[in-house]
Amino acid sequence: MAHQTSFLGYRRPKGPAATRNHLLVLSIVGLTAPAARRIARSLPGSRLVAAAYGRGQLGGDAITYRRQLVGLGRNSNCGAVLVIGADRTTADAVATAISETGKPVEVVTMDEVHEDALALSDAGVRHGARLMHMLSRQRREAVPVGDLVVGIECGHSDATSGLVANPLAGAVADRLVDAGASAIVGETIEWLGAEHVLARHAAPGVAQAIVDAVMRREAAAAATGMDLLGNNPGQENIRGGLTTIEEKSLGAIAKAGSRTIQSLLALAEPPTKPGLHVMDGPGFSPESLTGFAAAGAQLMMFTTGPGNSFCNALAPTLKISAHPETASRLPEQIDFDASAVLAGIESLDQAADRLFGLLLDVASGSATWGEVLDETDEVLVRLGPSF
Amino acid sequence: MTSPAWSAVVLHPADDVAVALRPLEPGPTSLRSGDAAETFEVRAAIPMGHKFALRDIPVGADVRKYGEVIGIATTAIARGTHVHVQNLRSRRAKTPVAAPPSGVTA
Repeated sequence: MAHQTSFLGYRRPKGPAATRNHLLVLSIVGLTAPAARRIARSLPGSRLVAAAYGRGQLGGDAITYRRQLVGLGRNSNCGAVLVIGADRTTADAVATAISETGKPVEVVTMDEVHEDALALSDAGVRHGARLMHMLSRQRREAVPVGDLVVGIECGHSDATSGLVANPLAGAVADRLVDAGASAIVGETIEWLGAEHVLARHAAPGVAQAIVDAVMRREAAAAATGMDLLGNNPGQENIRGGLTTIEEKSLGAIAKAGSRTIQSLLALAEPPTKPGLHVMDGPGFSPESLTGFAAAGAQLMMFTTGPGNSFCNALAPTLKISAHPETASRLPEQIDFDASAVLAGIESLDQAADRLFGLLLDVASGSATWGEVLDETDEVLVRLGPSF
Repeated sequence: MTSPAWSAVVLHPADDVAVALRPLEPGPTSLRSGDAAETFEVRAAIPMGHKFALRDIPVGADVRKYGEVIGIATTAIARGTHVHVQNLRSRRAKTPVAAPPSGVTA
């Protein structure tokens, strides 16, 4: 089947086109989160990311936290960004990094309004309103599928995930890569026991990096004194028929598809070339999705067995299940029902063509259930305690 | 939901186990393996999504699914019976699979 080669997206001054045209209200420190919430409430349709932390952080924790904030601002789905901070110097540093993409960025800070949260709100709403007014004048146009960066996640897995939903996501990942797009798979701990399979289709130099990343995470877990394998697979997984971590991981990595893995990305690190990438990140899906969004993902595929309501805030998140009962039990959550493949009625290839079509439809503006209901958030990773 | 065209599936030719696509009772069951379908005698109740042995597996042997080793048999496993935590253990587990740590969930 000949695949569609374009979707209707928003062109950007630099970098890939977007699937959405959000004003991002970005509070970079917990001190301004309440005022940022007030500002976002006054700008219906804006997207709010209010970081809970942002001061008293050191080393890798500070670097990773900042990379996530900047990355979310740079995500092409944000047509403009309102940066809200406690002090002008820090806020300007974030704004400058975001504005390298050529998008409009405005800054309001608490020190400039003499710590008056109401004055900050007033200034923020006025700047934000002007940005939204401007964004509303932009139009979608045909852009190449190759502009897409798609994050692929699984959450609440059962045997149907490894049998159908993840291989299906993998087949769509292959189609995306063949069209010149990028796909990102994360959740390092879910490679454990299957890292040799990923390594087999990794570019030279990347294979060893993948194996090392799994060993680092295994060692970090062991250092806490916790037996990582005592609770992975978890009790839900075991009830669903998954016995060992190898078995769970082999099912999980099927969502990466079969194309060459071009790089191992750090959390929130954007790919520097198209193709398939893996991200060394957490297994908790809200954090993993934020890592993808901060790396530039404008769309997500999210597979589940019994259902999982959580969606990313900046990138439309398609929920995919192959469990025979899930789609009918959760009609306002599951965007794609793959149970016909499990039943042997539809081939994996046919379902992959259908899902690829839906993905481009959503890329062009059709809403996911998660968007309609706003079942969305961003959860930023912390790597250490505050000082 | 139309009922499946078969009741269990073998995912890879090298596999030692098949996966039940619906709850199975002991008796003949339709098994899909690649493009071929056959009738296979299941000798235990198998919940949906769970595995059963395609052949007798000796204690200590590698057990394959997806064409890859998913663990080691901790007891001899008879053809047609349930393969799960009671007779299969991860090769990555550093301690015997016994008491899971309390209060921690994935």
